[in-house]
Amino acid sequence: MPNTETSAPALEIENVRFAYGGSNSFEIVIPSLRLEPGEHVLLTGGSGTGKSTVLQIVAGLVDPQAGSVRVAGSRIHSLHGPARDRFRGSHIGMIFQTFNLLQGFSALENVLAALMFSALPKSEHRERASALLATLGIQWPDSPAELLSVGQQQRVAVARAVACRPTLVLADEPTASLDPENAAGAIELIQQTCRESGAALLCTSHDPAMRARFGRVESLDQLRAGVQVGAGAGA
Amino acid sequence: MNDATIIRRSLSARKLSTVFTSLSVAVAVALMLVLLMMRESGRAAFERGSGNMHMLLSGDSDPLTGILNSVYLAAPPRRALEHAKVEELAAKPFWAFFIPTQIGDSYRGLPVFATTGDFFSRFQPGENEQWSFKAGRAFEKNFEVVLGSRAAQETGLKIGDKIALTHGMPQPRSGGNEDKGDQPAPHVHDEYKFEVVGILEPTGGAHDRAIITSITSAWILHAHDRREKAEHDHDHADHDHDHEHAQETMTTEADLTDADKKVTGIYARVVSRPGSNASALIPVVFEQMRSDKSITVAQPAQEINKLFAIVGSVDQILIAMAAVVAASSGISILLALYNSMEQRRRQIAVLRVLGASAGRIFRLVLAESLVLGAIGAAAGVAIAWIGLRIVASEMKARLGLVIEPAISWQLALGVVSGALLLAGVAGLLPAIVAYRTSVAKNLRPLG
Repeated sequence: MPNTETSAPALEIENVRFAYGGSNSFEIVIPSLRLEPGEHVLLTGGSGTGKSTVLQIVAGLVDPQAGSVRVAGSRIHSLHGPARDRFRGSHIGMIFQTFNLLQGFSALENVLAALMFSALPKSEHRERASALLATLGIQWPDSPAELLSVGQQQRVAVARAVACRPTLVLADEPTASLDPENAAGAIELIQQTCRESGAALLCTSHDPAMRARFGRVESLDQLRAGVQVGAGAGA
Repeated sequence: MNDATIIRRSLSARKLSTVFTSLSVAVAVALMLVLLMMRESGRAAFERGSGNMHMLLSGDSDPLTGILNSVYLAAPPRRALEHAKVEELAAKPFWAFFIPTQIGDSYRGLPVFATTGDFFSRFQPGENEQWSFKAGRAFEKNFEVVLGSRAAQETGLKIGDKIALTHGMPQPRSGGNEDKGDQPAPHVHDEYKFEVVGILEPTGGAHDRAIITSITSAWILHAHDRREKAEHDHDHADHDHDHEHAQETMTTEADLTDADKKVTGIYARVVSRPGSNASALIPVVFEQMRSDKSITVAQPAQEINKLFAIVGSVDQILIAMAAVVAASSGISILLALYNSMEQRRRQIAVLRVLGASAGRIFRLVLAESLVLGAIGAAAGVAIAWIGLRIVASEMKARLGLVIEPAISWQLALGVVSGALLLAGVAGLLPAIVAYRTSVAKNLRPLG
């Protein structure tokens, strides 16, 4: 089960504003967004609209210019320095489009690295990492991650994201580099794994085909306009 | 999984860089250790050799040469003191001991140090240190020898063995003076057998590699040479080539003339209060001896200081060079880590996403730098250990200097600590870069 109080929403965003003034300038405005524990939500939007930045704000990697973000009931941006890093390591899992596995580390070590910074007792780390990798079909957990097939690398990335029994998994365009058939398989794997671990999932994608796989879809444009599609059943 | 695994993986991902960076630290540590140890060992060897003498009297051209020849047995002196002069000096009332010595002969390349029994009973190899015998005893009569510890080790001689000494000393392999003055060509005195009666414990001084015998025995060898030559000249004058005649006539103590009784150096100590090495008489006696132009007087401590003042400027340059090598090894650590930061920004960002704090990333990079320094330092100590043996053996072969090739743990600890400090300083900049790595920018461009 996830590492939080079940009564608190997995994610609660209120009046968040963030403006980026670089060459690809954009502005994020989210008056309200709420994910219940275990809920799966797809966040859509065109390229360059700030979907990835929303996830980075939620993860506490980027500070919003206004508003608040609560993860498992805690205002993540009120935490500072190592406390915020510890909170992220214990409550949030992240999956990236390019997996971002640690090069030179084995598949097992990649998952252990996530557990190393979590609140889970050290004695459980190896057993949990091995069990997760076995469940996800990784046959050679001691192989260097970069030598695994793309599909296997994605499984390792998913295992790493849920290893610390997070309240919330953030998936940033996890299927963008895959063909439609593999993309369907990948999102199914992520959702299935999150369901089994009880984690809520906030997934970004600009792929219209992904909409059918989520019970609730939010678009950045609609959120800005104050329109929330509303709570769905999750996938 | 812990920080050590992350550091190990990071270093092994850049094997070539890790090897060469560590190697540059190793070379700097080894160079520094060898230079410092050679300096320490050299000074220790020199300081120990003069024992409890206050001054050395010789016929050498200058005091430093006298010390090098008669105390460190570097080469036979070019000029000896005449018997009458020795008698005159010995009669002075202010000597606590007055020990005539003579060098000039050798055995298998090792110097023969001829002296009197007082050398063992009065002269001390170190402050309040008596001679100690590993086996046997001091010589008591002519044609007995005592072996210094290293001489025993090198020759493999045992108590009771009999040896023939070579008249003359071999010159160092290179750098020796080709002009040997009036030194005779080395030849073996087979007709006189010397019996090994004692083997000394090591003292750390030059006498460790000496074959020590009575000065009368050395005089007899030289007198025999003189008599052989006289016989040979006589035979030639008579046109009678009976060479056997000379060889059958053995020289004894009774045949010695004053001219045979040559002394190349005198170990002297001025009377002082019991238990005290200092005496107000020393400068007075020293001045009195110096005023005698027929002899050269030297105070070992002063001459050693003079020697190290000459050598010191050279080894300061060498140590400065080693420091430059050490600094460049620090820079190579800095560059290796700094360059790797470009490739590792994503890894650092991922670790931050997984929950590692910026402070922990800082410590990881700093620890990685220290590990590079530690690997290099350990390799450096090993290289120095081997290098010291090579340098010591070369110094002995080329310069005749015996230096104990041991690494003092205090010095090794100091140099290793210095290397770690350098690695720590070199790791600071990359660690700061790692600390300030933007997680958001390095995971994926904003968009």
